[in-house]
Amino acid sequence: MRLLVIEDDSTLRESLVRKLTESGFAVEQAADGKEGLYFASEYPIDLAIIDLGLPELSGLEIIEKVRADGHTYPILILTARDRWEDKVDGLSAGADDYVVKPFHFEEVSARVNALLRRSGGWASSVLQAGPVTLDMSRQDVMVNETSIDLTSFEYKILEYLMVRAGQVISKAELTDRLYDQDFERDSNVIEVFIGRLRKKLDPENSIKPIETLRGRGYRFALERNQVD
Amino acid sequence: MRSLSSRLLISVSVLLLFFFGATIAVLDRAFTEAGEQARQDILDGHLVGLLAAAEPDDTGKLVMPARLREPRLERIGSGLYAELRDFDGDVLWRSRSALGLEIPIGTVPDLGNHLFGREELDDGTPLLTLSLTVDWELDNGESQLYVFKVAESLDGFNAQVAGFRRQLFGWFAVVALAMVLAFSMLLRGLLKPLRQIETEITEIEEGDRVSLSGKFPTELTGVARNMNLLIDSERARSDRYRYTLDNLAHSLKTPLAAMRALLHDRHSEGFGNRFNEQIDRMDEIVRYQLRKPAASVADNLVLAPVHVEKEVTRLVDGLRKVYHDKHPEFDVRVEKGLQFRGDTGDFLELAGNLLDNACKWCESKVRISVVPSVGARAIASGMVLTVADDGPGIPPDAADALLQRGMRLDESTPGHGIGLAVVKDIAHSYSGRLSIGASDLGGAEFMVSIPPVSTAKSD
Repeated sequence: MRLLVIEDDSTLRESLVRKLTESGFAVEQAADGKEGLYFASEYPIDLAIIDLGLPELSGLEIIEKVRADGHTYPILILTARDRWEDKVDGLSAGADDYVVKPFHFEEVSARVNALLRRSGGWASSVLQAGPVTLDMSRQDVMVNETSIDLTSFEYKILEYLMVRAGQVISKAELTDRLYDQDFERDSNVIEVFIGRLRKKLDPENSIKPIETLRGRGYRFALERNQVD
Repeated sequence: MRSLSSRLLISVSVLLLFFFGATIAVLDRAFTEAGEQARQDILDGHLVGLLAAAEPDDTGKLVMPARLREPRLERIGSGLYAELRDFDGDVLWRSRSALGLEIPIGTVPDLGNHLFGREELDDGTPLLTLSLTVDWELDNGESQLYVFKVAESLDGFNAQVAGFRRQLFGWFAVVALAMVLAFSMLLRGLLKPLRQIETEITEIEEGDRVSLSGKFPTELTGVARNMNLLIDSERARSDRYRYTLDNLAHSLKTPLAAMRALLHDRHSEGFGNRFNEQIDRMDEIVRYQLRKPAASVADNLVLAPVHVEKEVTRLVDGLRKVYHDKHPEFDVRVEKGLQFRGDTGDFLELAGNLLDNACKWCESKVRISVVPSVGARAIASGMVLTVADDGPGIPPDAADALLQRGMRLDESTPGHGIGLAVVKDIAHSYSGRLSIGASDLGGAEFMVSIPPVSTAKSD
């Protein structure tokens, strides 16, 4: 998943970016409002973390513009302003959640995961579809109660597909969202990983969790078991 | 902007100028007209005299006697002249006074008509003239047309008018000056209380005075009273800021000291957690201070009213996003068009903290209701804000403990109750109170009641 972090304090921004990257996200970063708005409108992004007090252009303005342009990805506000007035302003402008500074990274990470799965239509951080269970908070996958050992990249692909279960995801989108910018972009790599993923999840080829739609991409094909 | 007195003086002077100008014009006109009328009557008299003196001679021609009864006609250059012409314009006779002068012929009136006119001598002397054409019947039954003309120099009259005008202007100037002077003195007297307010405010600024004396004319007592209210609330506010700042600075010192002490054993187990604890504590302190009430009741009257329904809707929409997963069912009961006279931030803080708590603790239901509370003599209605949930609820003794929790920072337990402490503070600053009870939904019910603001209070 590709995240965007817009934060003017470099210490905070770098620490956030580092920890988010460690958690397996591809992360873009911007240090001021203008640059942030550029990334937020021009890049394929799954979620944006936006500080409200930014130079050049305030976070609130970015959110309003992004929403006015029709982008629907979730937005998490970082704010030093703790009064409800500020929170409500941010939420009404189009943000989905907020974290008040100073925060613990775990708090941000929990909100990010919740927002991402929410945007895919899942109500809980444990995604279940047929016999496949993916726990986003523990980054852990089980098929029929048996834990499956996945590499971090395989996990990322599965998570991306499964959060969007039922949607067709093109190879280009997968490369865009999963690689960091300068990574080698070879769509064959995706094919290879999908192949490995299929083998690990479904060695007998009986549940067929991932469909290939020729020329269009992939789809996580199992019916969601929504747990409320 | 120009001062009140100069504005008043200018308008009064303009008015005076207009009034006196009009008066002078009217008087002048009346005087000149009356004078002219008198001149005309006199000329008429002279003309009658001439007619009476004229006698036909033996040849049947009209001649004037050698001496006339009017001495001015006999004195050369007296200013009163007379002449007799035949209808062709040839001068038959001219009074001695007109010796050496050429009286212009002017317009000749029709038979039997009097005609007044204004003409000039060769040297430019203005004349008022009266001509009369008569048909003189001779003894032999023939008749002939003659033109009698009398003229009087207007020099004397004009000098008289000029003199009159001079006097008129002079006296009116004196009167106008006196009026402006009297008026400006009156103004000084009237504006004295304003200058006194100014002086007293300066004294307040310099610290020589606590409040305005209140000894002002009725029109200004309201201003003075409101000014005193403002000064009081400003003073209370700055006291509050000073107290808050003091409190804040001191309460930050304890965790700072703890952190410095912790640094000594930074390599020990659990250092990170313990250090973080201190940061959390400082964060808590700062957050509490930042969210304290924005205004005090004295300021509320100048604030724009809060549109309760709109703000609650915004809040609930926001919380729906934040508690998306829990998906609580909101029951919003706000009277349409209800307004709360206070700070929007304060209102959001009250409703936001209570709703947030309710969302946190509820099973699935949250209810918020706001109703106005009105009192006799109230100039701004109060409100009762109730937030209820269907969570586990709060036992009465725990509720008491929650409410008892001190406003002093050092006493507040980190991580809990900041929201409630803020709600309590804000309610107090609006002379209201926070109470905790059980709701019919099965959980807790928090009620903030803010009394209406009555006029009695501000006196």
